[in-house]
Amino acid sequence: METNILEVNQVTKWFFENQVINKLSFKVKGGETFGLLGPNGAGKTTMMRMIMNILQPDEGEILYNGIARNKIKSLHFGYLPEERGLYPRAYVLEMLIYFGTLNNLSRRKAEVEAIRYMDRLGMVDFSDTRINALSKGMQQKIQLIAAFLHNPDVLILDEPFAGLDPINQIALRDILSEYKKENKILIISTHQMEQAEKLCDHICLINQAKVILDGKLSQIKKKYRENAYSIEADNSIAFLHDIKGINIVEENNNSCKFTLSHDNISISKFFEQIKGRVKMRKFEIVEPSLHDIFIKLVQEQTAKS
Amino acid sequence: MRNIFRIARWEFISRFRSRSFLFNTFVSPLLFTAVLTLPIFIFQYQPEVSTKLVGVIDLSDENIGQNLQDELNRYYRLKNRSPEYMILKVSVSNSKPYSRMLKEYREIIARKDSINSLYNQIKDQRTEYYKNTKIPNREYVLRSSYEKLQITREEKELVQIESNRFKTALDSLYRNEAKNMADSLLITEVLNSYLVFTRDFTKNGNMEYHSKNPGDFRETERLEKILHTIIIKKRIINDNVERAKLRKWLNPIHIKKYQLFAEGQKEWNFYLQFYGPLIGVFLLFMAIFTSGGYLFSSVLLEKSNRVIEVLLSYANSRQIMGGKILGLGFLGLVQVLIWFTLTLILIASDIIPAQKINYLTLTNALYFLIYFSLGFLFYGSIFITIGSISPNEYDAQQINQFLRTVAIFPVLLSLIVFTDPNSTLIRTLSYIPFLTPSFMIMRIPLSAVPITMDIYITIIILIISIIGIIFVAGKIFRVATLMQGKRPTLTELIQWMKIS
Ligand SMILES: Nc1ncnc2c1ncn2[C@@H]1O[C@H](COP(=O)(O)OP(=O)(O)OP(=O)(O)O)[C@@H](O)[C@H]1O
Ligand SMILES: [Mg+2]
Repeated sequence: METNILEVNQVTKWFFENQVINKLSFKVKGGETFGLLGPNGAGKTTMMRMIMNILQPDEGEILYNGIARNKIKSLHFGYLPEERGLYPRAYVLEMLIYFGTLNNLSRRKAEVEAIRYMDRLGMVDFSDTRINALSKGMQQKIQLIAAFLHNPDVLILDEPFAGLDPINQIALRDILSEYKKENKILIISTHQMEQAEKLCDHICLINQAKVILDGKLSQIKKKYRENAYSIEADNSIAFLHDIKGINIVEENNNSCKFTLSHDNISISKFFEQIKGRVKMRKFEIVEPSLHDIFIKLVQEQTAKS
Repeated sequence: MRNIFRIARWEFISRFRSRSFLFNTFVSPLLFTAVLTLPIFIFQYQPEVSTKLVGVIDLSDENIGQNLQDELNRYYRLKNRSPEYMILKVSVSNSKPYSRMLKEYREIIARKDSINSLYNQIKDQRTEYYKNTKIPNREYVLRSSYEKLQITREEKELVQIESNRFKTALDSLYRNEAKNMADSLLITEVLNSYLVFTRDFTKNGNMEYHSKNPGDFRETERLEKILHTIIIKKRIINDNVERAKLRKWLNPIHIKKYQLFAEGQKEWNFYLQFYGPLIGVFLLFMAIFTSGGYLFSSVLLEKSNRVIEVLLSYANSRQIMGGKILGLGFLGLVQVLIWFTLTLILIASDIIPAQKINYLTLTNALYFLIYFSLGFLFYGSIFITIGSISPNEYDAQQINQFLRTVAIFPVLLSLIVFTDPNSTLIRTLSYIPFLTPSFMIMRIPLSAVPITMDIYITIIILIISIIGIIFVAGKIFRVATLMQGKRPTLTELIQWMKIS
């Protein structure tokens, strides 16, 4: 099977005088989960709408398997908008069937699929309820079902975890990882960095209309690894300040995060120095979290401009 | 393309099942018709509770009371055939001042009579004296009788003047006393009304009508008509005309009204002719604004609850717009067809006298459908545009209200249309697309000559306007639906039309 590929080339979007996307480019392959991250107002939703052909880019192009996006039928795409978009007075199952048929499913098939997904997300008892009688999280689940009901090749989810409880977050992650196995393209945006970290292979961080970070999650992590360690002890570790070559990054009661400057001290030297002076409870190499990287980069870039 | 039908189906079904559609289809037209026709029924079938007493104060010697009673009996009777009106001569015999004065008057009359007879006696005597030349002392007798006659005549003239003066005073007193009496009878509601006839009413035609509500046109019209006949009859009799001839001359007339149509003449009935087209306009308005209103609220709703974003990700804006127009337009057609069916049922069960209503034809039904469809498309595409650019429901509803007012405005001119459906003013107004459907639906049944030319012209004008508006609507709809929060400026609107 050939892998699908979605390319965004030099896309620019203006809203009147306001440039929301500036020459944005990225590429997502089938089987990949792509995380579109960025602070509020960065242009994530706008980018996703352009991929969904709801908005047109002013410059640049969006290609799916080499074909321009606006020439491709929308049934290959599934979309979860960031705000709920449901008919408040409609009945759940009926509305899902309607959305399914809009993507060329037969009514029968749409019904079967809808019930299957509702069962999976624990919603099957609500099939004959009106939407406005559902809680916010339940509505979010229905909205999700509407997005992947027709089994699209490209799934675009704008903040899919918003409003979901931890159990449903896991159920959603399960469904998404199944998608991934089928070699489909998954693009999500989220403000929950832990979720992005768990889910995404590829991250694109945008701020103020521009990409400030783009790459595989593993590579990004390697790149931002800072030789940092954390130590936790049962007694005071204030003496660490006196050791040469140690930069304390963060300090709490009897625990601290620090980096070593390579020239002066190695990790084995460090252990020699503290031997006998500390009742160690925990010692680990600190991996940079996406959370930290996000904050650091966004703050740096905002400060620059 | 298939998505258009899917969207249409969804819009149709979700509205068709709604309570508001049921209401607009069955309850509103019923209510409207009831409100429109109820006053007619109340007016026509006012229950005639009992015989009405009409007082008469007659200052003439015409015996008008009896005449009036006879004529009223001839025309107006209650369901049980008893007379509807009873004439009561207002009597003042109980009034003391009047009877005192009447006594004096009678004395004067008696005196007048005696002087008259004395005068005549002298006159007769003198004739005898003239004839009989053998009377002794004739010269002297003649002279002295002449003097006697002279004196008596003077006295006679004086008495005459006095009696006349007294008669006037007596009449005036009679009149006042009678009026007082009648007023008290009116107040106690013994009398329904009373009439005052002056001495010379047959000559000068002056009468008075007293009632608690002289605005009751039905009553006054009846009395006027009958009095008119009576007085004319009296005037003619005074000119010595045979009674038999008179009856023939004064035979009442009945006017039946007919209207000329291309296919022949038809009997004319105000209520059918006027209220029929009015109900027609109302139904057309209902149909256009029920489905047009749904179109409007559907756009507004999807915009505010963001369903539009989901829809736009599955279908393009042209499909969404097309689907909505198709589905809700079809809904409107269904509504109209339901009304047609109901009309047919009412005709079949003889509740609507179809043979009397010339405008209940298949052709006119077709025109109704055409003007509904065009009106719906016209207002619908305006609604789509407004719905998609309005930042909030409140603003949008105000514009909606305004458009409704514009569309129903022709009803205010219905009386003008009624008197001349093809006047220049009405023709010109019906070329304005906002007003076309309402005006044409009134004009087609009311016009005596076919207005095919105007039908073609208005249809063409409407179609051109619809194409223009849909073109604009399509462009704006796409961009505007995703906008939120603020009302776009005109320059922004123009910009949107360029970019999309
Ligand atoms: N329809 C629109 N008209 C005008 N400006 C818009 C429109 N949609 C978005 N914008 C502007 O574009 C910018 C990016 O918005 P966007 O919704 O893409 O941000 P986002 O990254 O999704 O933010 P969030 O994390 O808050 O969802 C914002 O400054 C916003 O004001
Ligand atoms: Mg967003």
